Amino acid sequence: MLLENGKISSLQLSLLIIGFIFGASVIIAPGQQAGHDAWIAIALGLMEGLIIAGIFTVLTQHFKGKTLVEINSLVYGKILGNFISILFIWYLFHLGALVLNNYSRFLKLELYPATPKALTLILIMLVCALTVRRGIEVLARCSLILVTITILMAIFDTLLVAPHMDLQNLLPILDVPIGKLLWTSHATAIFPFGDAVAFLMVLAFVNKPEKSRSAVFKGILIAGLVLIGVAVRNAAVLGQMVAIYTYPTYITAQVIDIGDVLTRVEVLVAINLITMGFFKISVVYYGTVLGLAQVFNLRSYRPIILPIGILMVILALTNVSNTTEMFDFANQGYPIYTIPFQIAIPLITLLVAKLRKLPQTRGEQA
Amino acid sequence: MSALVLIGFGIIALIQIPGLVRKQWWRELICFTLFWSLGLVLAVILSMGIKLPPLTTIINETITGMLGI
Repeated sequence: MLLENGKISSLQLSLLIIGFIFGASVIIAPGQQAGHDAWIAIALGLMEGLIIAGIFTVLTQHFKGKTLVEINSLVYGKILGNFISILFIWYLFHLGALVLNNYSRFLKLELYPATPKALTLILIMLVCALTVRRGIEVLARCSLILVTITILMAIFDTLLVAPHMDLQNLLPILDVPIGKLLWTSHATAIFPFGDAVAFLMVLAFVNKPEKSRSAVFKGILIAGLVLIGVAVRNAAVLGQMVAIYTYPTYITAQVIDIGDVLTRVEVLVAINLITMGFFKISVVYYGTVLGLAQVFNLRSYRPIILPIGILMVILALTNVSNTTEMFDFANQGYPIYTIPFQIAIPLITLLVAKLRKLPQTRGEQA
Repeated sequence: MSALVLIGFGIIALIQIPGLVRKQWWRELICFTLFWSLGLVLAVILSMGIKLPPLTTIINETITGMLGI
C-alpha cells in the first residue's frame, strides 16, 4: 500500500523549497555574524548549499520514486537501513522543534508578549498537522500562493525602506577576518540551504522525476538570491548595527515611515515568518511521520500525526533555556551537528549504492 | 493545567483509537499508543512545573566542548 498518493509538479517543488528556505531565515538573518558582509557569506554559503543539494539529488535520481527510508533499506539492508533512517528522522524531528522554538520565541518577544508560548506552538502545530494529514499535494499547492505573496511583500518592504538605505554602509567590503567569513558561510550553507536535505522524503512524489533536480537547484538559487538581497538591504539600512540586532529584518521594516501614515509595516515581516515557518515545519513534520510510518511498516502515517506533533511541541518548549542559547547553537553547534545528516548520510549512501551497483534492474535481479 | 493536558490527550485518543480498532490496524494502534503515551507523560511532567533538560543546549555544549569552539 502506498503511504502517499499525491504528486507534485516541479514548479510546486521549486516554490516549496523557496518557502522552506525562507522558513526561519526571514527572521533569523543568515550570515549575521559577518555583519555588513553577510551578503558575501550568504553568496559563498549558497555555493556550498548547491553542492549539498547536488549530492542528495543525485541520490534521488538514482532511486526514482523512493524516499530516503526506502533507499536506506535497499542499500544497507533492513536493520542497518532502518537505524540510519531513524537517525535522519531524528534530525527532521529536531529541526521541526528548532523552527517551532524560533517561531514562538519571536512571537513572544515582538508580537504577543503576554500569550503563553505553548499556546502559539499548539496553534501552529494544529495548522501544520491538518496540512500534513491532507498530504504533500495540498502543501505544495499552498506554496504557489503563499510564496508568491511573501516575495512580493519582501519587494514591497524593500521599496518602502529604500529612502533609508545608504550603500556606503556596505563598505569596507570583506571587513571580517577570512576565517570568520568562511565559518559564517559554512553555517549559512547548513542553515538554511542544507536543511533542504529534508526533501529526500518529498522528491519521490514529483510527477516528473527527471525534472526534480533542476527544480531543487532553481528553488535554492532563487531563495539564495532573495536572501542576498535582504542582507544587502538590512546592512544598507542598519549599517554596523545589523550584527547586533536579534531580528535585523524585523528592525529594518520598523524604520519604514511614510508621512507618519504608513508605519508599523514590520508586521508584514511577521506575516512572512508565520507563513514561511508553516512551510518549513510542515515539510519536516511530513518527513518525520512518513519516515516513521515507513520504518514501522504502517499502512498510513495519519494515526501518528498528532502524537508526533505533540512531541515536537514539547521538544520546542524545552530544547533551549533562552534566546542566547538558541543563537549559540545556530552559530556554533548546528553547522557541525548537521554534517552527518546533510552530507554524510546522502553521500555515503550514494557511494555504497554505486559500489553495490544499486538499484538493480528487474533483469539483473532474476 | 494538568487537567487540561489530560482532557486534550483524551480527545486525541477518542479521535484516533475507535477508527484504528474498527479497521483492525493493530500495528498502527501500537505505534499511536507508544507516541501518545510518551507525549502524555512528558506533557504532564511539564504541566506540573518540572523542567526537562534542554536537549539542544546539551547537544551544543557537547559539540563545542569536544571541538573546543
